[in-house]
Order: sequence, then C-alpha cells, then structure tokens
Amino acid sequence: MKSKLKLTLLASVVAVTTAAQAEVNIVSWGGAYTASQQKAYQATYSDPDSINFINYNGGLGEVRTQVESGNVTWDIVDVLPHEARVGCDEGLFEELDRSAFTPAPDGTSMDDDIMVELPNDCVVPQIFWSYVPFYQEGTFKGEQPTTIADFFNVKKFPGKRGIHTWPNALIEMALLADGVAVKDVYKVMSTDAGIDRAFKMLDKIKDHAVFWSSGAKPLELVQSGEVAMSLAYNGRIGAAVLSEGAKFVTVWDGQVLEEEWLVMVKGAPNRDAAMDFLVHASTTESQAEQAKFINYGPMRSSAFEIMKQGEPWFHNGKTIMEHMPNRPEVMARSVVANPEWWADYGDSIGERYTAWMGQ
Amino acid sequence: MSAAPETVSGPLITADGIPLKESLQKSLRRSKIRAALLVAPPLLFLIFLFVIPIGNMLTRSVDDKLINQVLPNTFEAFESWDKVSEPDETMFAAIYQDLKAADKTDIGKASVRMNYAKPGWRSLVKRTARKIKKMEPPYKEAFLKADDRWTDNEYWLSLGIMKDKRTMGYYLNAVDRTYDFDKNVVHVDENRKVYNLLWWRTIQVSIIVTLACLLLAYPVAYLLATLPMRIANLLMICVLMPFWTSLLVRIVAWMIMLQQNGVVNDTLVAAGVLSDENRLAMMYNFNGTVIVMTQILLPFMILPIFSVMKTIPPSYMKAAQNLGATPTLAFIRVYMPQTIPGIGAGCILVFIVAIGYYITPELVGGKDGRLIGNMVAYHMQRSLNWGLAAAMGTILLIVILIFYWIYDKIIGIDNMKMG
Repeated sequence: MKSKLKLTLLASVVAVTTAAQAEVNIVSWGGAYTASQQKAYQATYSDPDSINFINYNGGLGEVRTQVESGNVTWDIVDVLPHEARVGCDEGLFEELDRSAFTPAPDGTSMDDDIMVELPNDCVVPQIFWSYVPFYQEGTFKGEQPTTIADFFNVKKFPGKRGIHTWPNALIEMALLADGVAVKDVYKVMSTDAGIDRAFKMLDKIKDHAVFWSSGAKPLELVQSGEVAMSLAYNGRIGAAVLSEGAKFVTVWDGQVLEEEWLVMVKGAPNRDAAMDFLVHASTTESQAEQAKFINYGPMRSSAFEIMKQGEPWFHNGKTIMEHMPNRPEVMARSVVANPEWWADYGDSIGERYTAWMGQ
Repeated sequence: MSAAPETVSGPLITADGIPLKESLQKSLRRSKIRAALLVAPPLLFLIFLFVIPIGNMLTRSVDDKLINQVLPNTFEAFESWDKVSEPDETMFAAIYQDLKAADKTDIGKASVRMNYAKPGWRSLVKRTARKIKKMEPPYKEAFLKADDRWTDNEYWLSLGIMKDKRTMGYYLNAVDRTYDFDKNVVHVDENRKVYNLLWWRTIQVSIIVTLACLLLAYPVAYLLATLPMRIANLLMICVLMPFWTSLLVRIVAWMIMLQQNGVVNDTLVAAGVLSDENRLAMMYNFNGTVIVMTQILLPFMILPIFSVMKTIPPSYMKAAQNLGATPTLAFIRVYMPQTIPGIGAGCILVFIVAIGYYITPELVGGKDGRLIGNMVAYHMQRSLNWGLAAAMGTILLIVILIFYWIYDKIIGIDNMKMG
C-alpha cells in the first residue's frame, strides 16, 4: 500500500515536471492584446496547453537580469521596436533561422512580406500599432478636428490635451503639425533646430496638457471629460469603439506607427518548442486571424488580402479595415517611427522632454 | 559540605574527570557554534540578497571596463592623436582591427555605452560593423564610405571621456553635469537639466509628507493610547485597514475622489463653493503625489507613536497638573517630550520609505509630481542604462545615511523606539 502510494506520488511528480518542461512561456502586455494573441495563435496551435502567457510591463530590465544571471525562465517576449534592436545587439535574444518561417501564399518569403525593413535576425513579425489623436463625439461644436495641427491648436479647439510622459511620437507629431512633410520628419529631427522647433510646438499645448503613462488612461481622461482630446494607442480606441460601442472619433492624420515584434530570449529553456510556436504565430493566416480580435495591423502585407476578402472580419461582425493603422489610405499621412534614430537620440531627447514636462 | 575541597590538589576537575577550564571552554565553544548556526541563515540571506547586490550596484555605477576591452587599439591610437587634425589612417586601421576582432555582442554593448558619451555613436558603430568583413585598406576611405559621420571629429574626441576603466560619468549625469571632451566637469545644457530638480523635489515631497503624517498621526495615536480598550481596538482596525487593501486600489480610489471631474470637485461645484471653470487640480500633479503618499504612509507614523504613548503612565500628567500646570502646559512640557522616541522612529520610517517611492508618483504624479524613484525605475527597465540607475541608487542611499546621521546628532539613535 505504502509503496504504491509512493509510486503514484513519484509518477505525479514526474508528470508535473515534464509538463512544466514542455511549457513555453510567452511574455506579453496583457489585456485585450494578450487575449488576441491567445485566440489567434494559442487556440489555433497544435498543442494549445503547452503555451503559457505571462504579463509584463515592457522594457528589457527583466530579460537582461535573466540572461546575465543565467536563470532564463522566459522563452518568447513581445517587444517594442527599440527593444527589438537593442536586445539583439546586446545578445539578449537568439538569432533565428530565417528559412524556417512560412512564406506568403504567393511564395514571397516572410522577411520580404514584412512591411518594414527587417532590423535583424532576432525578430519575428507581430503587428503595427500607432499613437493617434482622438476625441469623444460631441466634444466640439461646429467644425471638428481633422488634422494633427488641430490637436496642437487649443485656440480653435479649446480644452485640455492628453499626452504621454515620454517623447516618442510627440516630436514627430509636433513637426508634422508645424508643416513638415512626412518624408522629411527624421531629417528635420536630426538637427538641433528641428528639435527646438518641435518643442516650440509642444509649448503651445503645455499649459493644457494632462500626462498619462498607462494605455487605459487616455480613454478614461476623454470619457470623463477631463481632457477634450488625447493621444492614445490606436488599439485601445478601436477596442472601445468596436467592442463597447464607445463614441470615440479617431483623427487619422499624423499618426506615428510603431512596430511590435516577437523575440526568443537567449538561452530559452524550451528552444525548439518556442521556435515551433513562433513559426506558427507568424504565418499569414495567424496574422490575419489576430485582426479578428484587435485592431492592430498585421506586419505581413499578405495578411491584408485575407482580411479584405473576409470583411466584415472582426469577430463580432463589424468591419475592421477602417480601424487598421497601416491601411494604405492613411499611410500617406503617417510616420513610421524610426527606431534607429530613437536608439541614438532617445536618451538625450528623453532628458529634454522630462525637463520640459517638469518646468 | 563534604570533604570535597580537600581532595582538590591540582586544577579544578568536573565530575567526569576533565579539567573545569577545558570543560567550560568546550561548552562555551559548543554554544558559540550553535549561535553561529542559528545566525547563519539570516546572515547568508543578508549577504546574498543585500551585500552582494548593493556591492554589484556600486561597481556598476563606476565601471567602464568593457569599452576598453573592446577597443584597445583605438584608445592607443587616440592617445597619440593631436586631437585637432582630421583622424588619419592609423586610427582607422586601429578601430578596424578592434571592430573586426570583437564579438558582435560586445560591439553592441560598447556602442550603447559610447552613445552616452555622444549621441549617434550607436548607429555609427553598428552600421560600420555590419560592413567590416568586406573592408579593405585604405581603411579611412572604407569607413567614410560606410558612414560619412566618421570625419566628424566630435565622435573621435568623445573617446577621451571613455578611456579610463573607472568613470564618474554616471554620477555626474545624475546631478545634471557631464564631462566635456577634455574630461572637465561641466553643466549639461539648460534645457536638458532634469535630475537636480527631481532630487530637490524628492526631498521636498519626503519632508512635506513626513510632516503631514506627523501632524495627522499624533492626535490619532493619542486617541488610540487613551481611549478605553474596546473603542481603541476598533480604531486600530481602521488604522490598519489600509494595510490590508491593495496599494493600487487605494491609489485609484484617490483618483476617483480628487480628479477634476471627481467626487470632491463635483461636490464643491454643486455646493456653489467653486465655479465650473475653477475646479481644483488635486490629481496628476505635485499635490496629488503629496496627498496620496501621506495617506499611504500614515500608518507607519501612527504605530510607533502609539506604542510609545501606550507606555507613558497617565499619572505623570496628573502629577504635573497637581503641581499647578494647566492641562496645555502639562501636555507640552511633560507628555510631549516623552513621545519623542516614537516621533523620531515614525519620522525616519516615513521619510526613508517616501524618498524611494515610485509607484504612487508614477500613477498620480502627472507632470510635476514625479520623483527620482521614477527615474531609477525608468533607467532600470526602459533605457537599460543600469550604470546611471545604480549611480542614482547610490546617491539615494547616501542621502538617507546623511539624514540618519543628522537624526542621530539631534535626537540620538538610542532614543528611537519602534514599538
């Protein structure tokens, strides 16, 4: 009896440890975004139970700690453009075999199917998201804001403005509002005079600014009337409109697009399983599938074809294309953020922005 | 009693025949070992989780080894350069050798470090390193073809800042100063000054919060200490309740109360005290940080003061009044001095916790209520400039030690009573 009990115990311990070994830990941002990844990638995966999602708050602090201490528990991390580059440079991510990934239906290789230039061999395409201005229907009487310049014009459109506590996208937007052409934005930003010009524009809304640092905040601020207009992540606005019927109006002018990548942590405990999942998550079909649950734009252009033909594509029967930040119609007035520029000048601009905020 | 004393001729011997001295030493040693074993777990815990990480942090804040290991030839060539003329072939050949020999990861790390000295280094090194394998002499030409910024002497000059294995650069950065290319300490540009303001504000907020806590906590502690047991216990639960509630829940509750369209403002407007345009800004600024931090840290002040007040016999006050003092005078001259150990403990506790706070300021601080702790977190998690974060952490530690020292001089640390 006793030995039988021992055996069962042993067996269960073995079962538990092997199950734990096979589990791929994927770290993402939580909320509706992680939910969309779970539905689009995990639920369609051959072995959904082996995938375990963990929430984090961004940044590579934790990844660097894990890699430096040699105690790696995360396999896959969902990272921003800046982190995707710095992490690969610093050797925090695995370089991946590019030939393992699935080409588009028309045979284009995955790397050529991605809408931006591939920054390095560590990254696996995820989505595009954007910083974009929005307001609540009925906030303004008469003429409605339609351009990024209107966002910076508190005389024409009075009321407070919600902006974030870091300078990314704001510098670009300020210059666009000041009349700089989309293609010249980074050229102007690379000069001291250009940065001064951006800050002069920011000065116009400074006394009317309410600062936010978490993605849910701008929606609260606009909903409660605390601010008249705010910048926000386009996915948050879209989720409120598509799923909750909120009366938010997005100003599709002067948005700043950012990339989102998946990477594998250097020394990931379940390398092979993680790679298998990455291949699955980056197929054209998976990318299109994700847009059923969140209005972030797929990085592979071939996914758009599936979505267009499948409209209304959103899971609750609404059309999705007009909420996609990287749809062709709005690209002419959008800036694709240049992470290389931000990697070089981000620290010094960040200091200046923090100083500006505090003055 | 018996004849035992007469039988002793040599040294004293215990019942089992071992000399008393030895036996005593043995048992002493045993108890010492036992004591050491008992202490060992917490001691090891302290060493591993406290001494080593802090030591590591201190080294990180001055360490500049990596760059010298990655670019040894470059720095050698830099030393023989006249710093005025355009860099010549030998210097390009030196950096070519270094970039070619170095590990890709090390180049990545070094370029991040170089970018702190002069923004732009990172992409310059990266772009060049990508083409390094195909390069052929003359290297100057090849480098210029890879990126034309190589003729900009400022990049080369900035090497002077990084040539030593130890740097004070991170500490300078943390107090709005920097090295110029000759390694003289200079102020950073006026519009990039961030940290001094934040240091000052952090100390300011910590002091205000400490004083506000003291003002609010003293009467509450007095009530707790003097009311009958049953009511006092009930009150105590009210004091401890916030401890059992999640920090985030409490912060969000304050947001709902204090924001522009929050409960307090709505009530004041409805009551006609305020007009709709003049709603008070109590959230997402300096005020918000102070209000919320005060509420969160209040129990840390109440508890030590309460525990000291509890030990003061009520008869002292009665005696003072018997001797002719008015109640106020008796309170000020007899009661209050006896509560100073509790006040001291509470103040130091609240101050030390407040000075490193960052979650609350992050959420309710808005533009002018953010503290130095937020910058430490930012550099740990986002910018990955751990050297700067470590330098700021070390400065924080020093500031706390200074306040501790002042406290010791004025009140005396022996006088502190935690409870």
